[in-house]
Amino acid sequence: MNLAPWGGVVMLLSLVLLNLWCETPLWTLLLGVSSAFAGIAWFCGVFDLPILAAMPSRVLGLLDNDLLQALPLYVLVGFLMSELGIAQAIFHSIARWRSAGGAARPLAALALGACVGPMNGSVASSSALLGGLLSTRVQYMGSARAVSLISAAATIGVVVPPSLVLLLLGDAMMRAHTEAMQLPGLVSEQTRIINTQDVFHAALLPALLLVLCWALLLWCLTRDERPPQEPPLAGASRVALVTILGICALLAGVFTGTLLAVEAAATAAMLMVAWAVLGQHPSRTHWAKLLSETLQLSGALMALLVGATVFSLVLRLYGTDRWLGQLMLSSPLPAHVTAALVLVLVGACALAMDAFEMVFVVVPLVAPPLIQMLGDAQQVAVLLLFTLQMSFLLPPLGYAVMIARARSPHTVSGGQLLRAVAPYVACQLVVLVVVFFEPAVVHGLDNKMTTPPTLTKDQVEDALEGLARGGRTSKP
Amino acid sequence: MKLRPLAACLVLPLALLLFIQWPLREWIHAYTRLANDLAQALFALYVSVAVYAASRAGAHLSLDLNVPQNAAKVARSKVALQWLCVVPWACFCLWSFGPDLYRSLTGLERFPDSNTPGYFVLKLALVSMLFLMIAHATRLLAQSFRSHRS
Repeated sequence: MNLAPWGGVVMLLSLVLLNLWCETPLWTLLLGVSSAFAGIAWFCGVFDLPILAAMPSRVLGLLDNDLLQALPLYVLVGFLMSELGIAQAIFHSIARWRSAGGAARPLAALALGACVGPMNGSVASSSALLGGLLSTRVQYMGSARAVSLISAAATIGVVVPPSLVLLLLGDAMMRAHTEAMQLPGLVSEQTRIINTQDVFHAALLPALLLVLCWALLLWCLTRDERPPQEPPLAGASRVALVTILGICALLAGVFTGTLLAVEAAATAAMLMVAWAVLGQHPSRTHWAKLLSETLQLSGALMALLVGATVFSLVLRLYGTDRWLGQLMLSSPLPAHVTAALVLVLVGACALAMDAFEMVFVVVPLVAPPLIQMLGDAQQVAVLLLFTLQMSFLLPPLGYAVMIARARSPHTVSGGQLLRAVAPYVACQLVVLVVVFFEPAVVHGLDNKMTTPPTLTKDQVEDALEGLARGGRTSKP
Repeated sequence: MKLRPLAACLVLPLALLLFIQWPLREWIHAYTRLANDLAQALFALYVSVAVYAASRAGAHLSLDLNVPQNAAKVARSKVALQWLCVVPWACFCLWSFGPDLYRSLTGLERFPDSNTPGYFVLKLALVSMLFLMIAHATRLLAQSFRSHRS
């Protein structure tokens, strides 16, 4: 019996345990665990030292990745939205919407999450930003409900296009679909490999459905409450309207294929920089601070990517990905039941990992067999996305909940939090079940948008060779 | 001028280069690849300093469960653990990547897709990132030892 693939499983478990125990930066743990297990494997003769020389090339692949250029731009836009008062203006305009009654403030928080989240890089940074902006403003709801609302708003960025998580997931799914096409017995109606644009299209309707469910939930739960009156803020409605129209225009550009997602992020960044310069809004000192914070957050996210890339390479060298794939495909249970169990496992991993780690470490392992089992790569992408989002909301380890809870001015017990988060999680479960049993939901926009360039099955081998070299992706 | 403030400013030309890709592609029908390659080189340089800046500012993401611990002892162990996690890996990468970097620098390697000069900048950025990681982890460890002795 070949025990090598178990090495990868132990490696994954070690990471999760160390992550919970050490409170050390995750990227260093990823590198440390990878190095230790690579050393053990070399010592035991599982693989040779020269094969590990691929590590720097993999990391170079990150610096050479077109999609990742968007990362600092998203972070800059997120900070500018906060610094220029745009985020506050959006919240303020919706919070003063009288006909919404007591639900106006919670709905404004949700809308702010939908606007800021996709621009903010990661769940952790969205949670921190929204926590800072909203925690005092929604505290009247009670601490547990305030924390759950902020957490839910912070996770919207995971599922609403064109978030960075979605961009990276699109790239990962393209690789996974390419690998799945090589597996024997794939029965699929899809004749080409999916790309980032397909994942955007697939995620949009379920994401809208979820946001609508949450809005309806907040409306029902809070419309009769009497929150304190929001003080007037001059020009807030105008700023909010211009921003929302701008976001819609950029989204339309991305969805119709006129703009690449990276170009949309750059356009948003340039428009905001121009706005700031013309309005002479942030002072020189503020600019220095803003750019410095952008550099730091971008660095933190890139470090995570470096760690996750090295980790996934070592995991693959152990053969754990192939072994897990075979294990899933040879399951005696029906394909849908196995797929559901795999999604539960993915959710468990997401409790202790950030979205980027999940996309780089876990998704490449489980996505090819999931595509094989369900036969629909877009459906798998959306299922993985919503499973990740749900895990970020589950206390006590869900990332979004943990950060919002830490920033709450009052102590919130685990039980209170679980009760407060339960309605949001129930809505997510409903959407997950709908996507699982009704895959047509993810294909609602397939033919209504620009058809992306086709990659046929015949080109798969070329693509695989390119991926194996760690080459560039999605050049314009 | 200091390294981090200088690197922090690179995000602005990066945004500009990626922004002009669209008009260059749609209206001028030229120079799109050049803008993209330039942006790629800037991005690599930006990232090489960004990871270091995040480490200096303590901005890296970690799971903080607020468990009460012996602060000084735990801080020292964390610094030692970080050094062990980062430095051997970075040294291995430098050792295995050295010959590739040498070839790239001496041949002034070009971007493979467009043949634009400057791909060696990406490799140089990778090596800079690794050196900065080692320098920061070692500096932290040395500080930790010094404070322990005093």
